[in-house]
Amino acid sequence: MATSTYLSNPALTINAVNLTDQCTSATLNQVVQSLSSSAFGSSDNFFVAGTTMHTFEVELYMSYAASETYATLAALVGTQTTVTISPTAAGLATPTATAPKFTLTNCYLETLPLIDATFSELSTISLTFTGGTLTTATS
Amino acid sequence: MYKILSPRIGVVGDKFTPPEYTNIEALLEYGFIAEDTTTKKSAKTNSDEPKD
Repeated sequence: MATSTYLSNPALTINAVNLTDQCTSATLNQVVQSLSSSAFGSSDNFFVAGTTMHTFEVELYMSYAASETYATLAALVGTQTTVTISPTAAGLATPTATAPKFTLTNCYLETLPLIDATFSELSTISLTFTGGTLTTATS
Repeated sequence: MYKILSPRIGVVGDKFTPPEYTNIEALLEYGFIAEDTTTKKSAKTNSDEPKD
């Protein structure tokens, strides 16, 4: 049995706007692309670090009300922005070693679903921010 | 200088210091913040000229 676990309840901002209460899923991936350095003389594959390609994926309830999901995102498509996320709401305001705050600056939003509607369901949208510079704050 | 209009940014009415690489135009366009046109006047100081 796991002795230390984490019940998912992160807090996040997109372009400085706190959308925690509209978010149901969030995944921040730190990605360092692999470059093959394999060569003759060995049957094993080897890799070295290439460039980074971090991704931040979120699922949000869609709302067209003022200061909500659409208003936050509408002008961000095709631009670079900054997203932040922490495992806890407290960590977003005051990061610590056990509640770090991850910041992805200059990440790019390529696609914004303007309408994603299904009969008898609350509308949600999925977004992916790519690229940028990832930093971690623990104090 | 900007002031906060939406609680999703912070305390409404407070000064907003945008984090690095924040898209300010997007926040202005959708009413999250506004340009703060009220500028603080500097306090008057006494002249250094000697009085007669």
